[in-house]
Amino acid sequence: MNKSTKVTLILIIIVGFLTVCPVIMLILGSFSRGLSAFGAFTLDKYIAAYTDPDFARIINNTIIFVLGSSFLATLLSLFLAYLNNRTDIPCKFLFRVISITPMMIPHILFSVSWVLLLNPSNGIFNLILKQVFGLENSPFNIYSLWGMILVEGLLDMPIAYLIIAPAMASFDVNLEESSRVFGANTWRTLVRITLPVLRPAILAAFILCIVRCMASFAVPSVIGMPGRIYVLATHIYQTISVGFAVDYGKAAAIGMSVLVTSLILILLYRYLTAASEKYVTISSRGYRPTVIELKRAKIPLFFVLGLLLFVLIVLPVLVLIYTSLIPYTMVPSVRAFSMMSLRHWYAVIKDPISILSLKNSLFLGIFGATLGVILSIFVAYTIVRIRTKMSVILESLSFLSFSFPGIVIGVGFMWFFVRTPIYATIWALLIGYIATYLPYGIRPLSSAFIQIHKHLEESSRVCGAKSLTTMRRIIIPLLIPGIVSGWILMATIFLRELSLSVVLSRPGSEVLAVQILRFAGDGLWGRLSALGIIMILISTSLVALVNFIGAKLKP
Amino acid sequence: MEIRIKELSKYYYSDGKTIKALDNISLTIPGNRIFTLLGPSGCGKTTLLRCIVGLETPDSGEIIIGDEIVWCGKKGINVPTEKRGLAMVFQTYAIWPHMNVYNNVAYPLQIKNVPNEEIRKRVEKTLRFVKLEGFEKRPATNISGGQQQRVALARALIAEPKVILFDEPLSNLDAKLREETRKELRNFLSELKITAVYVTHDQIEALALSDIIAVMNSGYIVEIGSPRQIYFNATHQFVADFIGRANLIKAIVKSQQENHTIVDSELGTFICQKRDFPVGSKVILCIRPEFIYLKGDKVSEEQNIITGQIENLIFIGEAYEGEISIGNERLMIKIESESSLKKDDTANFVVSAEHCLLVLD
Repeated sequence: MNKSTKVTLILIIIVGFLTVCPVIMLILGSFSRGLSAFGAFTLDKYIAAYTDPDFARIINNTIIFVLGSSFLATLLSLFLAYLNNRTDIPCKFLFRVISITPMMIPHILFSVSWVLLLNPSNGIFNLILKQVFGLENSPFNIYSLWGMILVEGLLDMPIAYLIIAPAMASFDVNLEESSRVFGANTWRTLVRITLPVLRPAILAAFILCIVRCMASFAVPSVIGMPGRIYVLATHIYQTISVGFAVDYGKAAAIGMSVLVTSLILILLYRYLTAASEKYVTISSRGYRPTVIELKRAKIPLFFVLGLLLFVLIVLPVLVLIYTSLIPYTMVPSVRAFSMMSLRHWYAVIKDPISILSLKNSLFLGIFGATLGVILSIFVAYTIVRIRTKMSVILESLSFLSFSFPGIVIGVGFMWFFVRTPIYATIWALLIGYIATYLPYGIRPLSSAFIQIHKHLEESSRVCGAKSLTTMRRIIIPLLIPGIVSGWILMATIFLRELSLSVVLSRPGSEVLAVQILRFAGDGLWGRLSALGIIMILISTSLVALVNFIGAKLKP
Repeated sequence: MEIRIKELSKYYYSDGKTIKALDNISLTIPGNRIFTLLGPSGCGKTTLLRCIVGLETPDSGEIIIGDEIVWCGKKGINVPTEKRGLAMVFQTYAIWPHMNVYNNVAYPLQIKNVPNEEIRKRVEKTLRFVKLEGFEKRPATNISGGQQQRVALARALIAEPKVILFDEPLSNLDAKLREETRKELRNFLSELKITAVYVTHDQIEALALSDIIAVMNSGYIVEIGSPRQIYFNATHQFVADFIGRANLIKAIVKSQQENHTIVDSELGTFICQKRDFPVGSKVILCIRPEFIYLKGDKVSEEQNIITGQIENLIFIGEAYEGEISIGNERLMIKIESESSLKKDDTANFVVSAEHCLLVLD
């Protein structure tokens, strides 16, 4: 057995453990009598889970929520991608901002800020409208399926955008031009040529959104649960955390259907992205896509873009800052500003659990992302460079976790960790995080490896450099952009992780998002906002710092 | 330094089929010459080069560079690439984008821990040699394709290797630059007295650059010879067809004379270059379009006369390229651009015996 086969085998064992273990434990757990009676076969949990009288309503909610928000996200991103790539809309850098910044605003904070704005009892926006128009009742109620769809759709829009925009950019514009030559106008060309050619990319984006919405926990818990609108994710959460009958077996049984659906969708997604790469031809000649002049539509469309930017980034941060400073929810006014103080901030800083969660999340973010990136470097190298049958197995394994819904995989890991000494420690979270989010590290690194032509490496060897020297002087320096983006992606995800953490976090291993969820449950909006702003500041400065180091290392 | 290759084989497996990239190749590449491996894409030429440098592992056989066995299947010898002391210019140039020109060129010496002062001197000297003096501090990505190519050459030359390998180094340049660089490369290499193994699919490049050409096809070597031999006196149809353009006509040997061979073909009887084929054997008559001339006043005995009708003529600047028909056969011709012939004219052409090449069917 040569060296590369050995490395591949070790990686298959590591990644295989991370991805297959929680799935197997989930399956076994769903057939077991309980956490303490693991392996005692029973079908009771499935019967209990699927004959629950509420189950039909939950499934119905889930379908409406998932399809609605995926549709909204895809439509918005299609609109934005078209505007960016195909029209002469000004300030195109804003599109980049829209596509990256939501990574720095955790989903739970985004959801909370909408609750603060639009909740029926004292949502700021509702209060303003009531005052201005002298209304009796609040005009908006965020605690509804529509509210959930709106917020989740906005949250998932960047993901869809990141799939659709490159496809739109690499689209061979000759296809459109020839349609124009044959007499079709802009609109007809868009409907008959552009959209059909982009169909695989659009479908892929839609499917990925569905998977993400199914796994979403922030929106259903912060917006759905107060309105008693339960979806599968919150239903599972309720089964394991609320009331006296905590039932991990039933949770696993429910989770199985979510996992299986996700897996099927991810396979479909993979097939579609492969198809879209085949479909969309990148012309090698240097070409400039024809830009459609918006003329009179320019100002209104730019206004829409500005509104989206405001709603996605500025508004949530403003609402959180405002709420962290005022004593209780009130309409912005002179009185409100005169009452501002830092008391919620002091309360957070003096709260030992908040500080502990801050420490834990920082550790998980920095150490976890570093560990994850190191593993990703090896996996990406094996997948891209050593192309053997074994490396294909490794690729499929590492892709598997792309479909993992956090809360379900958390339940799977729970069945495993309970049997080990690391149960209820921060290490359980670390392993869970890396297992669930490994593809986010592998992706940027494997595309970085693809960009490093094999000849660059070989040429160094011909010059007399040993493998390690080649690694140090050629590969790593060229890999830095990939390492930086992989690290940032993983660190920001780990820092705000919620859905896996609500299952695995125990007293002593609290993390930021779980602490924020707890504040939301207790209605401590001021403290929540203060802690949330701290969270945003930390992830933003981490991103800035790593970008800075990356730029320094780049020769 | 001489390179000897003995019974070298390399197979690839894909979709359940075995592809012979190298099929039992034996070959001696003489020292201090420019040796070219020429062939269509997929003929195994790059695989052979990569086996020599050690980036690819053969399945069986032996490779000896100078006196050292660098690879031997039977004895289990495999000297790693970095210890073979060769240099290579890659098709993509493989210029490291994160280093400037100086560091790219200095790299092989830095690896050998040569003192900095000496590295500086030698880089300067080498850059002067490839006419890139003053480029040291430029980022390697900020220079033109031709300049990158010369950086790659400088990097290959700096450690004064025994052998330099070239993997289609000119194929990424545009036509005009390719021609210039080809000339320069020829000058550099003949000045250096170095063993160069050059891989290309471009026959003009091979003819212009090489001392010796080996024509390859589907994993084996068809023919080896000097550029003139390959062009004028090929013994295989594949070689005659691959090098330049050629009319290939089926013929049967009619008789053997002292200095010539006479064949019969659809176009009539031809007096050809002497080849030792038995009378009656089937051969291919190969006539290059550029050697078919319009008939002048004098016709010598060693010339063949062809009468044909012009089917088409295309003006390409330096000449007319076209086709004439003789009965059912068609011949490609190339005539001077000042000719007044036009389509459907009938004309007499001559081709001398030395340009009528007979090759194996």
